[in-house]
Amino acid sequence: MPAVPVIAIVDDDEEVRIATGSLVRSLGYTARIYTSGRAFLECHDAPVPDCVLTDVQMPGMSGLELYQGLLARGSTVPVIFMTAFPTNRLRDTLLAAGASDFLKKPCDGAEIIRSLHRALHTGTRST
Amino acid sequence: MHARPKQAREVSMDARLVAGPSALGTGDEGRGRLRGLGALALGCAAALFLIDAFTPLEGAVAVLYVVVVLMAARAFERNGVIRVAIGCLMLTAVAYLLSHDPLDRDSALLRAFVSLAAIGVSTLLVLRNQATATILAEQAELLELTHDPIFVRAPSGIATFWNRAAEDLYGWRRDEVRGRRVHALLRTVFPDGEAAIRAELMRTGRWEGELVQSVRSGAKVVVESRWSLQRDARGEPVAILETNTDITERRRAHAALVQSERRYRTIFDSARVSILQQDWRAVRAALDALPAETRATLGTYLDGHPEMVRTLRRSVTIVEANAEMRRLIGAGEEAAPPRTLDAYLPDDEPTFAASLAALARGDAFFEGETAIRTLSGARVPILFGITFPSEPGGFECVLVFAVDITERKQAQEALLAVQAELAHAARVTTLGELTASIAHEVNQPLAAIVTNAEAALRWLRRDVPDLMEAASALRRVVASGTRAGEIVSRIRTFLAKAPPPRDWIDLREMIDESAQLLERELARSGVRLMRELASDLPAILGDRVQVQQVLINLMINAVQAMATVDDRPRRLILRVAADAAAVRVTVADNGAGIPDEVVEQVFRPFFTTKPDGMGMGLAICRSTIEAHGGRLWVSGHEGPGAAFHFTIPTTPGRRS
Repeated sequence: MPAVPVIAIVDDDEEVRIATGSLVRSLGYTARIYTSGRAFLECHDAPVPDCVLTDVQMPGMSGLELYQGLLARGSTVPVIFMTAFPTNRLRDTLLAAGASDFLKKPCDGAEIIRSLHRALHTGTRST
Repeated sequence: MHARPKQAREVSMDARLVAGPSALGTGDEGRGRLRGLGALALGCAAALFLIDAFTPLEGAVAVLYVVVVLMAARAFERNGVIRVAIGCLMLTAVAYLLSHDPLDRDSALLRAFVSLAAIGVSTLLVLRNQATATILAEQAELLELTHDPIFVRAPSGIATFWNRAAEDLYGWRRDEVRGRRVHALLRTVFPDGEAAIRAELMRTGRWEGELVQSVRSGAKVVVESRWSLQRDARGEPVAILETNTDITERRRAHAALVQSERRYRTIFDSARVSILQQDWRAVRAALDALPAETRATLGTYLDGHPEMVRTLRRSVTIVEANAEMRRLIGAGEEAAPPRTLDAYLPDDEPTFAASLAALARGDAFFEGETAIRTLSGARVPILFGITFPSEPGGFECVLVFAVDITERKQAQEALLAVQAELAHAARVTTLGELTASIAHEVNQPLAAIVTNAEAALRWLRRDVPDLMEAASALRRVVASGTRAGEIVSRIRTFLAKAPPPRDWIDLREMIDESAQLLERELARSGVRLMRELASDLPAILGDRVQVQQVLINLMINAVQAMATVDDRPRRLILRVAADAAAVRVTVADNGAGIPDEVVEQVFRPFFTTKPDGMGMGLAICRSTIEAHGGRLWVSGHEGPGAAFHFTIPTTPGRRS
């Protein structure tokens, strides 16, 4: 039996952060919550997550910068982006950069779940 | 003495000696010599008298008095000669009376009479000769006075006369020339060879032509030379008189002129600039015929007399169009360019009238931008410049330079289109940014609500429902819902609170600025803008940008309404008047007008007659004006044309 997947959630909005964490936990996964991209990247003692669920527009470090930071250190962990202001261009940029999925807020819980499943089953775990 | 004027020596440098003491330029030396000669004559006369009276010589000694008379002729003028002659006659008579008995009628008496007759006849001859010589001297003096260099030479080429002008031109004095061959001295170059000239001179007695000679300093002069041949009684050539006119300067000026003309030709023919040489004499005459006060305000005058503009356009004739201009209007080798300016200009072309006003003002130059008509009827946009002649006689050659600016125009239009697109993009971006921030603000709580609700469902659906988790998720749904509502009302409050900008608007300035913005549009559409602004306009209070947008919108509508007008000049009238309560702006066109059945609808949103129109223009204009407390309406829709009016109430206390 495989270990319980760990999902990292990065969002500057507390309500969204907590709600997403609750949803992830309700699915039986372990949710680890970060308030910013920097907080996530600088947390070295935690094990590498199985998937990252991050907001795009955040003060300081954007979701894209977070993703670029992960790629720069050779990570292949699947990243799902969520944004309250989706544009086609942003979507194309992120998917071209290798994003696992691009979701617009507010998004259906079922959609998040489908996206998580897809990421966990096709994504390559980095070690 | 030499009485025959045909002999070379008589027209010689020694003419003064022939002519006696009255001849020109007698020097001190000559005067002394003459005085000696006079004394000698008197001495001779005294000696003869003594011999005649007191020696027993039988013979006509008294005949030798003729020598005295001849000497006197050289030394004295006419009266002196006569006195000497009378003296000689008296001495002869006295000598006869002293040595002979007056009553003897012998041969001595006869000899005395012969002597008297000889003295008398020789005196008459001498006097006549002296008169002829005087005329010659006067003629020689005239030759001296003339500005043209004149010299006389013997057929051998030796100079015999050399006037002062010749001294001035050639730098050689007459005594330096004496005895020298003139053409060798002057190193004359004969264009056709000297032999040919001599042959013609011998045949006709004259020759005329141009010669190149060298003056003393070595400089070359070009002279126009006229030769006359003098022959003696037997027909033998004795002298050649040459009159030379220095044409070096004229030659140089001519050469410069030729050079200048050639340069002009080259420019005219090969310039990549279109050039029209026009004759404006009729225009100049017509303007000069106007009263001075009309000329001073010609622009206004021509506004009221379009027929005069038309007539003057027809009176400007085209002298020549260069290759570039012919290419521009599509005139090839076979199709000649039109003969009058009228054919080049579209009807109601505004810059011609403006150029007339500039000319009447006395401007030296006029430039502008317009369109000219090609032979096929197309319009080509050009930039042009007219240089008006400075002197009244120059109006037969007025040069107009023009440059085809089609490409520039297209580039400009492309640029404007890009600018418009950018402006649009900027607006969209601003709007987009606003939307993004609103969306973000609102979507975050909505996302939280949806996710929390979904999580709550999941907690409840678990095999062992986790009621605690579900309850806290639902509590967060309520909290987020409340927050979303707060955000919406905050945005509404923010938008409602933004105060509309209020500026003092100077309508005159706004109209100038709008006319400037639409200048190209007006020119391209061939629309003439006429402004009728009241002199004393109050400033109004409002949103400058919005009011200007209304004005420009109405003006563009008016221009577009006249697009199909071909039978009359396209006129756009901008009229601004004010009363105590409000300023009233009227934008009137003479276009197609508005059909009765739609006149009520033009202000409704989404009503449009334009294929790509949104139908929002007039609706927004009306709401803008109403937001300023004014009204916007249309009148005169029965045509031709329509007039849109709007009012904006005045605020007391300020005038523009």
